[in-house]
Amino acid sequence: MKKYSDWSRGDKHYGRSGYSSREPHTSYRYQKSQTREEVLTPALKEHAISSSPMAMAVDFKTHVDQACRAAEEFVNIYYETMDKRRHAIIRLYLDKATLIWNGNVVTGLEALAHFFEMLPSSEFQINMLDCQPVHEQATQSQTTVLVVTSGAVKFDGNKQHFFNQNFLLTAHSTPTSTVWKIASDCFRFQDWANI
Amino acid sequence: MDGHSVFQGRKRSSNYIGHKFDRKNHHLGHPGTPYASRPKRRRIKYSDEDQSFPSVWEDDKQQESELGLGARNRNLDSWFKVTIPNGKKYDKTWLIKSIQDFCSVPLNVVDFHYDKKRARFFVQNARTASALKDISNKICDETSQKIPILVTPSIVPYSVQNKFTSEQMEVLKVAVMKRYDASQKSLDLQRFRFDQDLMDNDIDMMLNRRSCMIATLQIVQRNIPELLALNVCNNKLYQLDGLSDLIEKAPQVKILNLSRNKLKSFFELEKVKDLNLEELWLEGNPFCNHVSDQSDYISAIRDLFPKLLRLDGKELILPAELILPAQMDIEVPQETRTDSELIKNLVLQFLKEYYLCYDNGDRFRLLDAYHDEACFSLAIPFNFNDPDMSNLEEYFKYNRDIKKLQDSYTRMRLLKHTKQDIVDSLSLLPKTQHDFCSFWVDLCLHTDIMLCFSVNGLFKEVEGKCQGCIRAFTRIFIATHYSNSRICIMNDELIVRNASPREIKNAFISLPPADTSSKPPLSEEQQEMVKSFSVQSGMKLNWSQKCLEDNGWDYTKAAEVFTIMQNEDKIPKEFFK
Repeated sequence: MKKYSDWSRGDKHYGRSGYSSREPHTSYRYQKSQTREEVLTPALKEHAISSSPMAMAVDFKTHVDQACRAAEEFVNIYYETMDKRRHAIIRLYLDKATLIWNGNVVTGLEALAHFFEMLPSSEFQINMLDCQPVHEQATQSQTTVLVVTSGAVKFDGNKQHFFNQNFLLTAHSTPTSTVWKIASDCFRFQDWANI
Repeated sequence: MDGHSVFQGRKRSSNYIGHKFDRKNHHLGHPGTPYASRPKRRRIKYSDEDQSFPSVWEDDKQQESELGLGARNRNLDSWFKVTIPNGKKYDKTWLIKSIQDFCSVPLNVVDFHYDKKRARFFVQNARTASALKDISNKICDETSQKIPILVTPSIVPYSVQNKFTSEQMEVLKVAVMKRYDASQKSLDLQRFRFDQDLMDNDIDMMLNRRSCMIATLQIVQRNIPELLALNVCNNKLYQLDGLSDLIEKAPQVKILNLSRNKLKSFFELEKVKDLNLEELWLEGNPFCNHVSDQSDYISAIRDLFPKLLRLDGKELILPAELILPAQMDIEVPQETRTDSELIKNLVLQFLKEYYLCYDNGDRFRLLDAYHDEACFSLAIPFNFNDPDMSNLEEYFKYNRDIKKLQDSYTRMRLLKHTKQDIVDSLSLLPKTQHDFCSFWVDLCLHTDIMLCFSVNGLFKEVEGKCQGCIRAFTRIFIATHYSNSRICIMNDELIVRNASPREIKNAFISLPPADTSSKPPLSEEQQEMVKSFSVQSGMKLNWSQKCLEDNGWDYTKAAEVFTIMQNEDKIPKEFFK
């Protein structure tokens, strides 16, 4: 994992309005994890909460990077599983996860399993992805990431629809890795009102 | 079967000696297709007495040389064949209706059918034929092309020629009713030709023949018009022209079994698409074997029969369209009623205040809504179909789409952190007017302390280059709400795109009344101003008040603004009394 010591000079910019126009001189690379129905990222490093603004900014940046990594990893696995291994999609959800699908609420693994079985086979295409780390005060220190996607999907026997989807992913850490699971999933066609 | 005459009451001509039931009669060319054109095999003779399928084509050739309608041996009740070249591309109902509308004489369409690209039917008298000739090239289709109508004399149409006697109809009725299950309202006409009663009475009921189909449907219409399910499986049906009358005779048919027939083309189904089918059986037809893409096949069937639930005995997996949300504006997962009500109200109240401030007030006032370390980012779903992507440039500046942005630095930069940063960025975004009535809220997750909900809706830009543009947005808020008190935003994600034409049509239709509740009461003078403004402008009192308020209670200025907007037609009709 790349160390972020380069950034400490630039940290002063964060937390003030105005944007630095400095060209980035590092690029971010990550390894693609093996395709299992699990979203794994390298283990979280525990950061002591320091009062120094630079340290806090480093903390935040780490969270942001981790969120981005998790989001990218997750989105790849999720949509591939939806398209090609639908039976396994349920493994990505927490036991008490909730899905809101075009306004229909589905809660709990059993209901979710049934729902995904009934849903026709899909072909997803993601056009946009964004993510944010969720502040720990909201999550009682359970590391959470908000992932937002948009794209197009074609369900078997139906016409193609554009959709927006957002996930709340929560992290469950083991000593060597972090497993991300879906706590909530909200999916809507962009044209749901006109169907 | 040997020697058993199939053709009751008719002399067997030499062509039919030894005719057996299921042996293909090579004289017929293409067996079972009454009006289809056949390979160029000239039949040397035919007689009226044959239960054969006279080729109406050949009659044409003989009679084409005859002049017009006044030709020899025609009485007024002679038949005429009406042909619409390229008629196949028109919807039957529309075509007949259009012709009827234009035609001065009432039209009785007999034996409507398709032959290759043509649509054809028969009419009975010279007056009608003449009237139809007159309207040739008068009707225009959707592409403004004129529709020619060709009329030629013809032999008696097939179904009329082979009409059944009333005794035969009685027998037919008995046979049909035996096969009718009143409890299910279903009629089983499988292998109808081999029905014992019909065979015993020498009635050859080949449903391919127009006359047979018409007779059967007549029985249905007279006796069981409430029919729900019809099974014509295994009747060697080559085409469904005859069955297209079913919608008139038994309009409630929901279940149709066409399996194991000889339908060669998907187009046949279009002839019965008027039926509101819920269940359809097609397997065992030749065209089913040529399906290359199962999914497209099912889609195409669904397009014809939108209410279809079962195909070939299998439940059609619920189309996504059928899983529709209930008409609530907030979906709340398993929850006690009081809690969910509280949360719902909390969220709605929050959204009202937030967007009121966002639209009308100073966005800096939103500082209070955010947590010190909140995050905000904006993303634009990339859509090649959107021709107006360029008019989102004010938003593109902040577009944080990490699918396209690989660079860690930019990703950081575009994520606004701390409430000051957020509010600064929000102030830089274009000014908006949100359509509160278009809002739909999904409550994604809630715990004791956290609330995550997403708002979908529309807003309008109110100034700048893109003034008037209507956008569709989705905004996801993650907030804390300690014991149902004030909401404090921790994460805010905004997705903006251009609204679709349909969305634009439905935008800003129902306007919320001007919110006067939270404002201080008007002074005497102000009340007077409102009254007279209302009288002079014609607007309702509350909107007059709004106009005055927006212009700082300067009557003249308000009047000017009103007049300008009025001239530009920008004031909705609902504002007026």
